[in-house]
Amino acid sequence: MGTIKEIFDNLESYICRILLVIFVCLLFAQIVSREFFGYSIAWTEELSVYMFVWFVFFGASYAAKHSAHNRVTFQYKWLPSKLCVALEALSDLIWIGFNVYFVYLSYDFVFNKMNLFWKSQTLGIPMKYIYLVLPIAFTLMTIRILQVNYLKFVKGVDVKDPEAQELDALMEADMSEQLDIESPKLGAKS
Amino acid sequence: MTETSIIVILFGSFLGLLIIGAPITVSLGVAALASFLYLDENPIKLVQIAFNSVGSFPLMALPAFILAGALMEAAGISKRLVALAESFAGPVTGGISAATVLACMFFGAISGSGPATTAAVGMLMIPAMVRRGYDKGYASAITASSGGLGIVIPPSIPMVIFGISALGMTVPAEALEKFGSFQSISIPKLFIAGVLPGIVISVSLLILNYVRCKRAGYKGTSEGWSLSTMGSAFRSGFWSILAPLVILGGIYSGFFTPTESAIVAIFYTVFVGVFIHKELKWKDLSRSLETTTWLSGRVLLILFTATVFGRLLVENQIPTMVAESMLGLTQNLYLIWLLIIGFLLFVGMFMETLAAIMILTPVLLPVTYNLGIDPVHFGIVMVCSLSIGFSTPPLGENLFVASGISDTPLEEVTAKAIPFALASTLAVIVIAFVPQISLLLPELLGY
Repeated sequence: MGTIKEIFDNLESYICRILLVIFVCLLFAQIVSREFFGYSIAWTEELSVYMFVWFVFFGASYAAKHSAHNRVTFQYKWLPSKLCVALEALSDLIWIGFNVYFVYLSYDFVFNKMNLFWKSQTLGIPMKYIYLVLPIAFTLMTIRILQVNYLKFVKGVDVKDPEAQELDALMEADMSEQLDIESPKLGAKS
Repeated sequence: MTETSIIVILFGSFLGLLIIGAPITVSLGVAALASFLYLDENPIKLVQIAFNSVGSFPLMALPAFILAGALMEAAGISKRLVALAESFAGPVTGGISAATVLACMFFGAISGSGPATTAAVGMLMIPAMVRRGYDKGYASAITASSGGLGIVIPPSIPMVIFGISALGMTVPAEALEKFGSFQSISIPKLFIAGVLPGIVISVSLLILNYVRCKRAGYKGTSEGWSLSTMGSAFRSGFWSILAPLVILGGIYSGFFTPTESAIVAIFYTVFVGVFIHKELKWKDLSRSLETTTWLSGRVLLILFTATVFGRLLVENQIPTMVAESMLGLTQNLYLIWLLIIGFLLFVGMFMETLAAIMILTPVLLPVTYNLGIDPVHFGIVMVCSLSIGFSTPPLGENLFVASGISDTPLEEVTAKAIPFALASTLAVIVIAFVPQISLLLPELLGY
């Protein structure tokens, strides 16, 4: 059970890292073969673009899991904190509503509206399978939003995005410590 | 009548959702969906836009540049570039803080993000400035203010996003009638156009820095320039200096597209990090991939909903209405520029840069077309104006980062950064009034 939970917890992260590595390598192979062997591989561009689309939507779900989607929140400073919590929950509810509707739309498009014989230009993959990422990723994203709210309201864990975590760590780090170390660790962007 | 009510629905629901704190992407998406339903259009279009807005080859430059930047940090390239800038400080008044501006310029040439520039440069330069007796608040302020250069000096992620948003739009027919044809937009052209404006902003920061350091009495070292320090910084930084040359040289010479040059930079960085600096570990690689994942996912999800939103704006002639009301206020091009810059500064204070570009390009670009402004020139002014928002309250990411690094209260850093923001604003106004600053280099290089 433990491993299944772990795999599910990091699902998007695994998928995206693999996709990212593959399309970066594909593009590099394309450059090398063009510049050094004067031969351009026809299918790499198409395949890498499709992998990129999958990467983006799973990445968006991953960002939702870390509640990293940008919000404008400076107005929260002037509002009572209970109201802020309520507003945030309300906005997440609206988000879920949007996602559910979009999942319905994209499912309907892929399985009912789409021309079954529509295939990709060079690879000939039915576009149906490529568009399938939309209902899957948006369903997953909805689960992640619910997960973040479950953690917040039931478990009392506030999920913060990695940038905010980093900033908090910086705020806590003491300046004098940094002065002693000649070249502090540069972990700044993760 | 429908036109005004569609504006109310579109902007009303968008702003309403923003205020209750919904993610930007959701606010845009729900507002667009509400308008679709109101206009009785088939919302199935959303699905196709979701796929087509993201599935474009030039857009792959975004994750590639983010990944390249993250790897360069892990591979020790960033650190060495900053150390090289530091070695130039020498005996000049305000030398080390001027070196900070310089470091941000170098760093801007490999990174496309403001807070990342501030963090990487600030980690090394703020302690270095404090060691030389600079006030912590001032040291943080100059770093935060020059961090914005990261997105003006190419390669720049905001310029990629502007290019993509602008490429998807056609020039309005009225504008074509009035001004003849417009120059085309391309991402390499935007990259070249950004070089001189980046230098103009840097110079304005450097001048103000000199004046303020002179007043505060921050002198340089008494020994003068140390050739041996500069030499050793150069030797250890040799491979790092090549990184921006590889990226920009490849793009400008036409060997690579921006996406490809970012890909080459990734492999170059991995090679240098593993075999030459021997600093890049598996863990760093995996972390860089993860950072790229969530950053790209969140930005590009906004791109999807912003594209739908933008299309609705254009279909309902909203940019034309904005243009007309602006022209109703004044016919003077300079005053209109000031209005646009003021508006962008205001938006930049509250909204994340990339989101602001994706939302505002469909509104403002047709307006500037109608005024006969070159689209590349406008893009540069837009990116420069928004870059100032990184170092202004209330949402100045660079200020947060710098105050975090130096452990100085945010208010103090902010107060000391405001004069720099004003200097940069002046520089942006100059850039807007003199189109040649942006357009000279692309013209000379035949773009």
